[in-house]
Amino acid sequence: MSAPLGFLRRPSAPASASVAASTASPPSLAALPATGVAIAVAMVRPRALERLGADTPARAAFWSATLHDEALAAWLAPLRPTRLHVGSEFCERLLPEPAQLARTLAEASVAGLEVCLRTPVASPEVLRALDALFALLPPGAEVVVNDWGVALRLRERHPLLQAVAGRILCRMLKDPRLGNPQYAPPAAHGFASPWTRRLLARLGIARVEIDLPLFASADSFAGVPLPLGVHLPFAFVAKGRMCRTAGLAREGPERFAARPFCHHECLGLAARTERTRDGTHDAWETLHVGNTVFCRHSAANLATLASAVAAGRVARLIVPGETL
Amino acid sequence: MKIVAPIRQLDEIAALARAGADELYCGVTPREWAERFGGASANRRPGGNLPSLAALAEAVALAHRNGVQLSLVLNAQQYSVEQIEFALAIAHRYVDMGGDAVIASDPGLLLALAEAEPELRIHVSSVATCRNADGARLYRELGARRLILPRDITLDEAAEIAAAVPDLEIEAFVLNDGCVYEEGSCNTLHLPGALGGPICLDRYAYAHRHRDGRPLSAALAARLQENDEAYRRWLWYRFSCGFTTTADGLPFGPCGLCAIPAFGRGGIHALKIAGREGPPERKLASVRMVRRILDAHDNGEAPAAVMARARNLRPAHEHCATGFMCYYPEVVSRASEAAQPLCDGRAAGAQ
Repeated sequence: MSAPLGFLRRPSAPASASVAASTASPPSLAALPATGVAIAVAMVRPRALERLGADTPARAAFWSATLHDEALAAWLAPLRPTRLHVGSEFCERLLPEPAQLARTLAEASVAGLEVCLRTPVASPEVLRALDALFALLPPGAEVVVNDWGVALRLRERHPLLQAVAGRILCRMLKDPRLGNPQYAPPAAHGFASPWTRRLLARLGIARVEIDLPLFASADSFAGVPLPLGVHLPFAFVAKGRMCRTAGLAREGPERFAARPFCHHECLGLAARTERTRDGTHDAWETLHVGNTVFCRHSAANLATLASAVAAGRVARLIVPGETL
Repeated sequence: MKIVAPIRQLDEIAALARAGADELYCGVTPREWAERFGGASANRRPGGNLPSLAALAEAVALAHRNGVQLSLVLNAQQYSVEQIEFALAIAHRYVDMGGDAVIASDPGLLLALAEAEPELRIHVSSVATCRNADGARLYRELGARRLILPRDITLDEAAEIAAAVPDLEIEAFVLNDGCVYEEGSCNTLHLPGALGGPICLDRYAYAHRHRDGRPLSAALAARLQENDEAYRRWLWYRFSCGFTTTADGLPFGPCGLCAIPAFGRGGIHALKIAGREGPPERKLASVRMVRRILDAHDNGEAPAAVMARARNLRPAHEHCATGFMCYYPEVVSRASEAAQPLCDGRAAGAQ
């Protein structure tokens, strides 16, 4: 990639520290034990929660089987999860039914896990459904909002619940096709501006979640005004309301339409994706699950995250407890 | 309802106004912005912008002389503090030029604009992905005067939002260009074509699998293959039927013309034609198409006749019938359910 990407190149040299941090070899995960950070397990449909409270070897086995990354599994295993993030930030069809959420709340309590409800970009119908779910949550429970309208509704109608700004609200460039940090325009979390801080305060948002940028550096964690949760080991690249996988469930004009309908096929199916154009390849492994494209962070990126954890800059790690 | 059309060069303004556009919108990438931040960061359309503030001033004057308004697009998904400060400086200059509205997405920029230029109209970009009344109300409280709905919304949802927040104008997509992923939730760039283009058009091979590692059955593999083929057909429609036109130059592709009667009932204020980076002829043909259907609606033509007129604009009933070319395919579904013949040109008196 050279001339054709010239329009992306930042004319003034990027801060050398940022690029250096992402291109130099960071210490390995094993050299940076995860301490002083909470861990949350994210599940669309929680089950077998007792596995999360098991001992370190059992958790290592769980993470290894779930994430397919031995080094990461070993790094996470000493941390006993304290929170369960349920539901989906990506799809309105994956909201739990009230009965499902009630059951999850009971099971999580037995497992010693606090429940945080993840919510997606919301249609009017989703907003109405959320009211019923919010009513089931205990005072102080967290709700991850990925829609400013949901945040306002939470503030106005459910003030005892705690809003967390989700990663969809944290917009940053994460194009897995850009394999060179020099061609990646500045990718920051965007929560640092005084105007955005005022909006967060106005809506009573007390925590924020982000994906790692694809070329993370120490700077990636700077300037966050609130306790920070970081997702790993996948970043979401793009999501649609239209769902390719849901096309399995319907025919006709609305097969790939916005009006959602499916049988939750994405809970069982995923696809590894790879570019086939001559001369192109993705710098990161990419996956397509339902309506969302993910990419897996590099070992170097995860090590940068581990450094940030060791420096006390990350309050919570959020890790999928279901294989993507 | 007003027709809102894009420009990227000055000589498009008079022609689009004469063709029936009520409002225009454009981006600008001043040299200083490109030097500081790179050309791709101003508003996600590196190839569709005016090159300077001088050109922007000329565009505002030209638009007003031709009786139309001109909005300025500053709708990157997110700006840094330095970029917001630079964008505010652009907005100040734009106000001095007599500019009409700024289209923005980043909530930080929205707040900054509302504080710094309280008299300036703010339109919330479709990139903000606002599709509920509470979100619309929040943007209204922050100072927005109009909400541009995302592409992926239903007619019922649009009408519900419009009814719930009556002091916020609602704009909806009516023609051209279809993202696959939601604009506000797509964290990628439109790369040059040789490097893949938009990620949704890039050549990805899919290796489907069960998430629990079980092998796919032959039957499921066949269903997935059929679904992939249907998706590729849909994608072809979503991207303007391979970016083709009729012999007369009318563009195929994402279209909401049949939905204009529903928009009218639903309190929609403005109809957005997308495609800033497209050629001038495409924009001109697009405005003429929308104007023709909107005039029929405004003249009191019955909804079924308006819809038939819309379908008869292009000799492509087979395209329309798929629903894959529709922004609002529920129109096709409802028509099928009601078994109403919508393609009868005689009933509509269409040409």
